[in-house]
Amino acid sequence: MVTQLTPKASLYLPRLAELTRVEPLAQKEKVFEFRLSDGKELGHKPGQFVEISLFGIGEAPISISSSPTKKGSFELAIRATGNVTNALHKLDKGATVGIRGPFGNGFPIDKFKNKDVLIVAGGIGLFPLRSLINYIRDNRADFGNLTVLFGCRAPVERLFCNELCTWGEYTDMEFLETVDTCDESWTGNVGVITTLFPKITFDPSNTYAVVVGPPIMYRFVIAECVKKGIPEDQIILSLERRMKCGVGKCGHCQINNVYVCQEGPVFTYAELKKLKEAV
Amino acid sequence: MQNKIISKQDLVSFVNNLIKEKAAEEIVGVKASDGKYAFGELANASELCLDYDVTLLPPKKYFLPQKETVLKFKLGAKPSVEPVADAKSIIIIGVHPYDIKAIELCDAVYTSTNPDPNYLLKRNKATIIGVDCLNPNPKAFCPSLGTAIVESGFDLMLTDIGDSYVVAVGTGNGDKLLNKYAKTKAATDSELAQRDNQRRQALGKYKVSLNMPSSEVPGLLEASWDSPVFKEKSETCLSCGSCVMVCPTCVCFDVQDDIALTLDKGERYRQWDACMLVDFAKVATGENFRDDKEKRFRHRMYRKGMYLITRYEKPGCVGCGRCALACLAQIASPAETFNLLKEAS
Amino acid sequence: MKPKIAFFDFTGCEGCQLEVLNFETELVDLLNLVDIVNFREAMTERSDDYDIAFIDGAISTESDIARIKAIRDQAKILVTIGSCSSLGGVNCLKNFYPMKEVLKIVYGKDAKYYNTIPARPVSAVVPVDYSLPQCPVNRFEFINLTKALLLGKKPERPNYPVCVECKLAENGCVFDKGGTCLGPVTRAGCGAICITNGRHCWGCRGLVDEPNINSEKEILKEHGLTVEDMLKKFRIYDGWLEVSK
Ligand SMILES: Cc1cc2nc3c(=O)[nH]c(=O)nc-3n(C[C@H](O)[C@H](O)[C@H](O)COP(=O)(O)OP(=O)(O)OC[C@H]3O[C@@H](n4cnc5c(N)ncnc54)[C@H](O)[C@@H]3O)c2cc1C
Ligand code: SF4
Ligand code: SF4
Ligand code: SF4
Ligand code: SF4
Ligand code: SF4
Ligand code: FES
Repeated sequence: MVTQLTPKASLYLPRLAELTRVEPLAQKEKVFEFRLSDGKELGHKPGQFVEISLFGIGEAPISISSSPTKKGSFELAIRATGNVTNALHKLDKGATVGIRGPFGNGFPIDKFKNKDVLIVAGGIGLFPLRSLINYIRDNRADFGNLTVLFGCRAPVERLFCNELCTWGEYTDMEFLETVDTCDESWTGNVGVITTLFPKITFDPSNTYAVVVGPPIMYRFVIAECVKKGIPEDQIILSLERRMKCGVGKCGHCQINNVYVCQEGPVFTYAELKKLKEAV
Repeated sequence: MQNKIISKQDLVSFVNNLIKEKAAEEIVGVKASDGKYAFGELANASELCLDYDVTLLPPKKYFLPQKETVLKFKLGAKPSVEPVADAKSIIIIGVHPYDIKAIELCDAVYTSTNPDPNYLLKRNKATIIGVDCLNPNPKAFCPSLGTAIVESGFDLMLTDIGDSYVVAVGTGNGDKLLNKYAKTKAATDSELAQRDNQRRQALGKYKVSLNMPSSEVPGLLEASWDSPVFKEKSETCLSCGSCVMVCPTCVCFDVQDDIALTLDKGERYRQWDACMLVDFAKVATGENFRDDKEKRFRHRMYRKGMYLITRYEKPGCVGCGRCALACLAQIASPAETFNLLKEAS
Repeated sequence: MKPKIAFFDFTGCEGCQLEVLNFETELVDLLNLVDIVNFREAMTERSDDYDIAFIDGAISTESDIARIKAIRDQAKILVTIGSCSSLGGVNCLKNFYPMKEVLKIVYGKDAKYYNTIPARPVSAVVPVDYSLPQCPVNRFEFINLTKALLLGKKPERPNYPVCVECKLAENGCVFDKGGTCLGPVTRAGCGAICITNGRHCWGCRGLVDEPNINSEKEILKEHGLTVEDMLKKFRIYDGWLEVSK
């Protein structure tokens, strides 16, 4: 006999949210600020994601880019790649979308308490990490040293440029960035993100490395972190998989026996090593 | 468990009573269909085939329909959205034990964490009248998995003992139905012995079996990731999805929006989808995480033999043989692959 | 501004245009969203000002080539509807006979008055944005594509074979009934209608992206088809693919 549960009607039912601000970030990226129409807080953790709906077009999983410390609204930063994301890019302030979630486990911030945190962001991997960076900054006393490395392909692909500048100016964190290629107008670092590693020092046993970026970046950055002596269960990654339901039903996000939308999207390298299909 | 006897004549009346008195909004059962068997709405007990081998699709379709609307929305300046979940009360007649086991797995998937409103609503309104499988199809291997006989998961369970059926009463609901609509008597020890005998004989009719205890399968798979068996076997795979579409323990779906031609309203629906299809794990950037048939074939085998068991503590394959019957390339049977892996290990 | 759509027919039976017209209830709604400016079957007045051109029929004469190029120049989006324009369709059967013979078979004594070139799909002559093969065109798919274009959505077509829909419809398999079927390599989207209606699939929607042709041939062979039979089977709709290889 099935348990006589009264299921939440809301499992697939999005809450409506209003688009309160849109700003371009780069050629194909914009940041969107939303407010839930029911007036409630989203109540997320850094590293979690929502399923955003454009009715008639579809749903897509998107990481929450703002810190939970930001009240009253939340931000999603989105690259236009397909149906839903392209249609989102056409929206103006005042438009209504659907939001389900927050879903997923998020970054293990409790474990980061009093530890040093090394954040490595490749391209739009910065989107979920921005939530974590701003969260740590807003609770600065709870954490040790904060180092942020950001890399993208070219200067025009830099994201949240104003914030990158301020991060560089703060004295309570270290921020380094690099681009793969550039012209003369760029005076900063050039080279893949691992070329930033020699420029920083950290105590590996007391450090959590949080790495988000394209699959190819993972291999190199993980190798670098391991080489530097960061324990495998202190290397944290976030994975992208196809997702339809976000609630552990549709099967699309499976990696071996793991449902990324449930047990992930955040994993330690120690966990991922055991999954043959992961990286 | 209470056991009763119902004569074949009285079973016909029982089913006709259920239909006539509208004991549920829908009365469905196994009927002949397109040269095979399929669950479908019963207009009369005479349509019911209780000595069938296997149905084309499993009864899962009543809880997780092939295509189902989950939301309705209106567009425009003030969009609105509402959930859609409806269910009719239903009596399903003629469910084989392996399908009952499979429903238990679906229950675990759909009702454990994040209970699924659409599934649960339908599931909670269903009455299951099972029947023991005495004519297994040539690809079935239920005895190897312990799914040939079940002691629970049904409201009533019938076993053909010649002129009559033994009816095991699984729930109070089943008991009520019998009392209200059927003429039965208590089963004697000799009738129960006849039932055991029928079941024992049926066990001897299976043509396929695992060459190891089923408890060894997860460990075997654990050690076989790089086995050449997957590549060899999947060479002829058509990625046609037949094996996963007919499987009673496949639970995956796709979600799409459909919009009316007036462009002002629409609905979101889900439809069966499966890991053997090429695009199942493909993302917007074009990357496909299981981009060839070998990887998809292997994933399905691991789902059936290991992942579902470790995740839900229930068999991920119930040995019904539907996949093997449906597979034109004749490669889909998990038993065959597990046996090959065992031989190679 | 409502987008303007136009229909053009080439060599085929015009069954596709009739099929679209058959969509009576939806046609009214459709006309609220688009202007139809050229539709031989339905309208007498024509205009050469259009955004989306729907093409049915295969290209099989020199003058067809000039005409389709002119249409391509004008249309923002060009969509082939039906198997003939999308795949070459049954028209490509003639490619397996010498051209003169074809003319003789078709026109008998008058053959010398006609010119014909190997029949080919529109995409062999000009770039095609979307194609909707099926014989005749699938009205629902036509409507869905139109809606998607209006919404700025990429029109999706299933990339799995007909078998999926055949199973969803709970059909018994044609192979089990002693027949043969191209369902395992043919792109779904028709709801497996032919099998549901008691026949088999002859592949009118073209192949899926990654068809396992060798395996399908092996299966057809096991079910009693000779290599000759098989080639015939594949040529019906995918003839152009074979000759263009
Ligand atoms: C946990 C998670 C967090 C993400 N965070 C962000 C983010 O912050 N910013 C951002 O720009 N992108 C993010 N993505 C990627 C984003 O989800 C895809 O780009 C998006 O789904 C593409 O949808 P689409 O409808 O525009 O594309 P289409 O190609 O039209 O996709 C059609 C359907 O396929 C599925 N799909 C396609 N690609 C993906 C994918 N990569 N992941 C999951 N489902 C997919 C979706 O269900 C979608 O409805 C994230 C993905 C995941 C899994
Ligand atoms: S995998 Fe095959 S045998 Fe096992 S339950 Fe599914 S269809 Fe039946
Ligand atoms: S075998 Fe594939 S389709 Fe079936 S339940 Fe598992 S993942 Fe889903
Ligand atoms: S295993 Fe068989 S039924 Fe399954 S997808 Fe491959 S060919 Fe089709
Ligand atoms: S009848 Fe054709 S389409 Fe249907 S399952 Fe069999 S081969 Fe596939
Ligand atoms: S079943 Fe095959 S032949 Fe029939 S419409 Fe579909 S693709 Fe065409
Ligand atoms: S997204 Fe559906 S199961 Fe994870």
